[in-house]
Amino acid sequence: MAEIRPDEVTAILRKQLAGFDNEVDIYEVGTVLQVGDGIARVYGLSNVMASELVEFPNNVTGMVLNLEEDSVGCVLFGESSLIKEGDRVKRTNRVASFPVGDKLLGRVVNPLGEPVDGKGTVQFDKYMPIERKALGVIARQPVKEPLQTGITAIDAMIPIGRGQRELIIGDRQTGKTAIAIDTIINQKFTHTEEAKKYGIKPVYCVYVAIGQKNSTIAQVVAKLEEEGAMAYTTIVSAPASSPAPLQYIAPYSGATLGEHFRDSGRHALVIYDDLSKQAAAYRELSLLLRRPPGREAYPGDVFYLHSRLLERASKLSEDLGGGSLTALPIIETQQGDVSAYIPTNVISITDGQIYLEPNLFNAGVRPAINVGISVSRVGGNAQIKGMKKVAGSLKIDLAQYRELEAFAKFGSDLDKATQKILAKGARLVELLKQGQYVPIQVEKQVVSVFLGTNNYLDTIDVKIVKRFEKEFHEFAELKYPAIYENIRSTKELKEDTIQLLKKAADEFIEKFRK
Amino acid sequence: MSVFRISYRYANSFFQLAEEKKSLKKFAEDVELIHNTLVQSKELRAILRNPVIKQKDKKNLLSIIFGPKIQKETSDFLEFLVTKGREEMITEIMKEFLNLRDDKEGIVKTNITSSVDLTDSVKKEIASKLEKKTNKKIKTEFEVDTNIIGGFIVQIKDTVYDASVKHQLELLRKKFSEEISI
Repeated sequence: MAEIRPDEVTAILRKQLAGFDNEVDIYEVGTVLQVGDGIARVYGLSNVMASELVEFPNNVTGMVLNLEEDSVGCVLFGESSLIKEGDRVKRTNRVASFPVGDKLLGRVVNPLGEPVDGKGTVQFDKYMPIERKALGVIARQPVKEPLQTGITAIDAMIPIGRGQRELIIGDRQTGKTAIAIDTIINQKFTHTEEAKKYGIKPVYCVYVAIGQKNSTIAQVVAKLEEEGAMAYTTIVSAPASSPAPLQYIAPYSGATLGEHFRDSGRHALVIYDDLSKQAAAYRELSLLLRRPPGREAYPGDVFYLHSRLLERASKLSEDLGGGSLTALPIIETQQGDVSAYIPTNVISITDGQIYLEPNLFNAGVRPAINVGISVSRVGGNAQIKGMKKVAGSLKIDLAQYRELEAFAKFGSDLDKATQKILAKGARLVELLKQGQYVPIQVEKQVVSVFLGTNNYLDTIDVKIVKRFEKEFHEFAELKYPAIYENIRSTKELKEDTIQLLKKAADEFIEKFRK
Repeated sequence: MSVFRISYRYANSFFQLAEEKKSLKKFAEDVELIHNTLVQSKELRAILRNPVIKQKDKKNLLSIIFGPKIQKETSDFLEFLVTKGREEMITEIMKEFLNLRDDKEGIVKTNITSSVDLTDSVKKEIASKLEKKTNKKIKTEFEVDTNIIGGFIVQIKDTVYDASVKHQLELLRKKFSEEISI
C-alpha cells in the first residue's frame, strides 16, 4: 500500500492556505423587510446595481430586479423558507453572470454555472454577464455557411444557416426536442478530421432545458453521451423543480456561453427548450413583483424578453473572426394555436419556423414537419449549391401533391397527370421520413432527393421506398464512391456527377427489380 | 404612497421650516424628545394608531405630554399631523427629520460590535480613526457580541468592515471547500 507522508499533506494544506490573508473584509449589506413567494424586499444595499447577485443566509443567492426609492426587490434562486425577516443580505458586486470556457463542454450546469452532474467543480476562464447587448450592424455579416441538421426534410427545404434563428414550433409530443437533439448529434461530423479537410468548422452546442422534467434531461444527457455528442455540448439545466427566477435566466446563461465560442471565432448552436415555459416563469415573477399584467397576464416587456435573447444570435464579420451563434428556440403551442401571444411574438422575431403537426406525426410522417407553412427566411443563401439544385423542385412537387391530395379522397377516376403527381408526392413524403437519432450526411441527402425529384422512384412501391433508398446508398458507395466524394468536396452537383448518378440509378433499378 | 415617501415629505417640510427660523438645534432637540418618547412608550404609540380615539382627544393628549417641553412650532406641527390623519406615522417622520439633520451636519451613525467590552481609550481611538477615514462626524454605538469570537465589526450605513474572527473562519472554510488544485 502506498504511504502518504504527513509532510506531503502539510504541503498541500499550506498551498491551499497560501492565498488566504486575514485582512479586514469590506462589504455592503441590507436587511430583509419582507419575504415570500420567491421574492424578498430588502432595505439598505444603497449602491446595489440592477440584476446584481446578492447573498442571503443559508447559501441562498438572489438577483436584484426592482430598485425602488426605499427598498430593493430581489428574486431568490433558492428556498424562500430558509430566509427570515431581518436577515442580512450581502452584495457580491457581481452582475448576474455565467462562467464561460471550453472546460464547460461535456458538463451539465444550472443557470448560475454550478455543476449538477456530480463531476466536481466547473473549471472556467472567466465570468461573463448573462445579459449582454446584442451586436450592432457593423459587427455582423449575412449568414452564409450551412448548419446541417442531418434531417433531409429540413436541410433540403428549410435550410438553416450558421447565425440564424430558426423557431421549432408545435404541440406537445410532436418531436420538437427530437429535431434539436438530432441536430446536436449531427454536429459530431464537424468535429472530425474529415470535416476539417473539407473546410467545415466545428460547431459547439449548448442545450438549455427550461422547465422540463429532470428525467427528460437525464435521458437527453444519456443519449448525447451514448452518441459521443457530449464532448462538444454543454447542458444548462433549469428543470421544472427549480425556482422561476432560475428558469427565467437560463436562456441568457446559455446565450452567454454560446457567445464565448462565437467571440473566439468559432461556431455555436444554442437550443432553448422551451421558451414558452420561460415566458411563464417570467410572468410568475413579474406578477409577484407587482408589475402590471397585460395580455394573457404576461407583463408588458415579454416581447423584449425574447427579442433581446434571440437578437444575440449572429454571424460575425470577418474582422471579428467570423464566428457565429445559431439559435434554435422551441415553442410549445396549445392545440395548434399559433396565434397565441408568445408563439406570434417569437415567430415574428425569428428568421423562420419549422412547424410540427400532430396529425402528420400520428399518420407516421416523422419528423412531422408541415412543409407548407415552415419557412427559412435566410437559410437559402447558406445551402450548399448541390442541395439547392435538387431541392428546388422538391418543394413545388410536394406543394402540388398536397393540393391534389384532398381532391383525390373524393374522386375515383383521375386523369393520368394527376395520378402521376399523387404517386410522386406519396413517394417523396415517404423518402423524407427519417428515424430519430439517425442524422444523414448532406451528400447522401442530395443523392436521395435527386432520386426522388428525377422520377427514379416512380416504379418503386411506396412501401419499399425507404428500403430502396438504403440499398441504393449501399450500392453506390461500393460501386460509385466518386458521387459522394464529388458532392462532398465541391459542394456542388456538377454535370459529370449527375451523369454518374443517373448511370448508377439505372443500373441499380435494374438489379432491384430482380 | 409608501411610508418612506410620506414621512420624508412631512419631515423635509418641517426641516425647511427649522432652517428658515435658523434654530435647527432647538427643533432637533424637540424632535429627538418626541422620537425617544414614542419609541419607549408602547401605550402612546397604540393610542395614536387607534382609529377609535377621536382626533381631538389625540391632539389634547399630545399637547399635554409634549406641550410645555417643546416649542410652539413643534407642537403646531404635531397638531397638523393629527389633523392630516398621519398620527400613526409620527415616529417615522421624526426619525426622518433626525436623518435629515444628520445628513446636513455630516453625522454618520456607526455601529461597532466587539467580542469584549472596549476601554474608553480604544473606543475613542476607533472613533477618531473612522472619522479620519470617512471625513464625517461619527456617532458611535457600541455593542458586545461574544458570538464573533474575537476582533470587531464596524458598520457605517450599509458598509461593513468585518475584522471578526468568526468571519475569518467562515472565509477559511469556504476556501477549503473549493477544489484543491495541485
